[in-house]
Amino acid sequence: MKAYLGVDIGSISTKGVVVDDKAQILAHEYLWTEGNPIHAVKRVIDALQKQIDGKDIQVKAVGTTGSARKLIGVVLGAQTVKNEITAHAIGTMSRVPDVRTIFEIGGQDSKIIILEDGIVTDYAMNTLCAAGTGSFLMSQAKRLGLAIEELGEMALKSQNPTRIAARCTVFAESDLVHKAQIGHKKEDIVAGICNAVVSNYLNNVGKGKRIAAPIVFQGGVSKNVGVVRAFEQVTGSDVYVDEFGHLMGALGVAVLAKQSGKEQNFDFNIQHVEFITKGTECKKCANNCEIIHVYRGEDVLDSWGNRCERGVSA
Amino acid sequence: MSAKIISFPHIGSYHVPIKFLLNALAGKGNKAISPPPITKKTLELGTKHSPDFVCIPFKYNLGNYIEVLENGANVLVQTSGGCRMGFYGEVQEQILRDLGYELDFYTIDAERGSAMDFYKAFKDINPKLSITYSIAAFAVATRMAYAIDGIEEFIRKNIGFELETGSFERMEKQFLHALAQATNVIQVGKVYREYLLKFQALPICKPSNPKKVGVVGELYIVMEPFSNYCIEKELAKFGMEVTRFLTISYRLFSKKHTAEYVLKNTGSYLKYDIGADATDSVGKSLDLARAGYDGIIHLKPFGCTPEVNSMPIVQRISQDFKIPVLYFSFDSQTSETGVKTRLEAFADMIDMKVASQ
Amino acid sequence: MKIGIPKALLYYKYRIMWRSFLEDLNCEVVVSPNTNKAIMDTGENYSIDESCTSAKIFMGHVSWLIGKCDYILIPRIESYANGDTVCTKFYALYDICRSTFPEAKFICYNVDYAHHQTEWKAYKQLGEALGASVFHTRRAYLNAKNELTVYEKILQSNQDDLIHSDNLKVLIVSHPYNIYDEMLGTPIIRFLKDLNVDVFFADIPDSADMCAKSKHLSRSMYWHYNKEIVGSISHYESIIDGIIFLTTFPCGPDSLTVELLLRKIKGIPMTNLVVDSNTGEAGLHTRIESFIDIIAEKKKRGDEYVG
Repeated sequence: MKAYLGVDIGSISTKGVVVDDKAQILAHEYLWTEGNPIHAVKRVIDALQKQIDGKDIQVKAVGTTGSARKLIGVVLGAQTVKNEITAHAIGTMSRVPDVRTIFEIGGQDSKIIILEDGIVTDYAMNTLCAAGTGSFLMSQAKRLGLAIEELGEMALKSQNPTRIAARCTVFAESDLVHKAQIGHKKEDIVAGICNAVVSNYLNNVGKGKRIAAPIVFQGGVSKNVGVVRAFEQVTGSDVYVDEFGHLMGALGVAVLAKQSGKEQNFDFNIQHVEFITKGTECKKCANNCEIIHVYRGEDVLDSWGNRCERGVSA
Repeated sequence: MSAKIISFPHIGSYHVPIKFLLNALAGKGNKAISPPPITKKTLELGTKHSPDFVCIPFKYNLGNYIEVLENGANVLVQTSGGCRMGFYGEVQEQILRDLGYELDFYTIDAERGSAMDFYKAFKDINPKLSITYSIAAFAVATRMAYAIDGIEEFIRKNIGFELETGSFERMEKQFLHALAQATNVIQVGKVYREYLLKFQALPICKPSNPKKVGVVGELYIVMEPFSNYCIEKELAKFGMEVTRFLTISYRLFSKKHTAEYVLKNTGSYLKYDIGADATDSVGKSLDLARAGYDGIIHLKPFGCTPEVNSMPIVQRISQDFKIPVLYFSFDSQTSETGVKTRLEAFADMIDMKVASQ
Repeated sequence: MKIGIPKALLYYKYRIMWRSFLEDLNCEVVVSPNTNKAIMDTGENYSIDESCTSAKIFMGHVSWLIGKCDYILIPRIESYANGDTVCTKFYALYDICRSTFPEAKFICYNVDYAHHQTEWKAYKQLGEALGASVFHTRRAYLNAKNELTVYEKILQSNQDDLIHSDNLKVLIVSHPYNIYDEMLGTPIIRFLKDLNVDVFFADIPDSADMCAKSKHLSRSMYWHYNKEIVGSISHYESIIDGIIFLTTFPCGPDSLTVELLLRKIKGIPMTNLVVDSNTGEAGLHTRIESFIDIIAEKKKRGDEYVG
């Protein structure tokens, strides 16, 4: 059977899926990037291989997305390298074909995608700061002495969520400390944080966007039922969280790899191949472009980062 | 008295006509020099000595000034404008003096775009300057600016389809070099015609109905490719024809004749002028929408008041005409990867839309 | 007819005149309440992220008025003379609100002396839109203008009375819409008064006089509202112990003006408070308190530090 591999390498987590030609998921894996995308991808590939081992599956095309898409695209010899906005849209549509709005809040970034009749008509990504993303929730949970997983359930218990200014992480933290000190209940504060994440999101990336149902919510923060409830209250419609929500980018880019029409059998045995990246600063002008070279053993696979031809020979 | 070495801030390729004009007006014994090309270091220097939340063109200008003062300049010029740009000069002069530089600083009110504005400012530097001579020099500089704008328009429309990567950029460099050698209107005209033919001869593969996007927004960010991460060329890489209205020739010479028309043309979207180039941003967005363009890119420095004013109105146009608009704000922290990711998604979005029709 | 007035931006400059004029023309005036957290939040929702906080607050007030009046008054100001203009935000507010709140009805007057649109002409058009005769409008305009002048004179003489007090004197250099806003300046003023400081307001002295005096500090400043408040520094220079600049993030004119003043003014302690909707009171109090400590110490030590 023909199959397609999609890998989504973010700054926090790395996701991989193998799908059949109808975009049904045959194998999937999700793990932490731990600052080393190449190693993370090797582990993902290894895990996927174990899941499909012994079945009659041949991966014919590979796609990569996420912030390290280019690097991993080179490492895996991908047919398709796509930005995460398009990949998420395609992936989500393969699960919820009539989706109109996609909310996505990940570890350090967030985005919104608006679709109409199966095509993307508008989108936005957060640009300025990490307030209201997963890392914000993580630090606040820690401050309250809670595990990140506990936040959602706890928020649901609240009858009277505390108001928290969350436009900026620093302000939010001082506000939080203040609210805790004057005696707000923990569940109210947690619910307040969830509300703050939502209002911050809608004010930042959601500003001026026409949010219509069906709404799909994904990214790490979508696992938090408190935030889901807050979204439902603000938008007044159901917010759908897919069990595979965290895999949408990988799924989308697998679909795109299939659509590319380019096929080449993929060899899962890359664990032992040595990939090295070297970053050098081009000293030929004051731009000091940082040029990345990717080596497979001794061979340069690719390099990028130079702004002008001076850097090419560096 | 020591020789006066006159300099100015960069904006796009206009250093060629600006340098020509200042050189001509400077008088015997004095000269004009260009600041070194903008690099990351320019921005770092500018940012270091600028107020916190001033808009980023201020920081680029200040960086240019510091670098060129280090190269020996002792007279700096700045132009005034319709927003806080008009106040740049006084603050920049103060900052540079506080840094210990000795300099003369002239703010030229070029809003009306006439030779007299420069004559008045340069009479002081070069007492022998005559009005007729100023007008003649101004005419050559103007022709140069028009030549640059004409060539760049051709580049924007076609570079996305070049067969040999880099062929347009190489030709652009040759053109600017040739233009800098010209000393009179006839020569400028000759260079322009020669290079337009050369550009037209470059092999391209352009579909009959290419995807088309328009660029609108704040003057500096729109015109200085370094400050917008070469957004026009990045767009072109996705096989798009790029259009923009805002050029020096538009800003200095056409705008005053068309301002009333532009405002009227915005119909119910605007009743009044909303400042600096923001009325144009609205008017031109509407033109692009009506002309059936596939998308609009709106560029501005972070916190640019006039362009922030234009955004709610451009958003309405986008909704009414169902034309996607991508907004970018630039400050010294804007991530280049973030810009590229969003541009890529923008191109995908347009492709999907075209494919579905 | 019911006319709504947002309690923000130019309200603090023209409220006396607006109320007098509108009531004279038989309109009922509804003013939005003091800025509160809810108004601020709504304003934030209806504004482009990068707008200044003062303008965001304005949008919150406009939203509050919708449904509570027939028209909302939003003046459009471009210039008071050739080369004497204002921040472009005031050019655009009317059109911004029309795009942001398509369901609401707005009424506007346009002052732009550089393009021969005088204040009287603007009010004449406003009166016409409200269905009043030119004669009636003219009388209402002159009365309103006069009331405003009288009111301003009272404020000036009250402020002048403070000159001879022995308390520490601090000049607040900021736009009236920041100084008197319940969420921005008011808490700061209250706190200063609690510290027994006499507060001088930059917007109170006579406007024409202040615009002229601003030339001492800036040769090329062309923002009318900034000239007014900058001039007050030269005006009060000899009697004040310190200057507090209060700016909302990311105000365009103030970003440059304050930088220039901090560099040019010597011998008077200064501090620059940049506030936005997130600024916590606690942090501000600490900064103000330590600033007051510094100027108190300086005053105690007498003249040896002056100049």
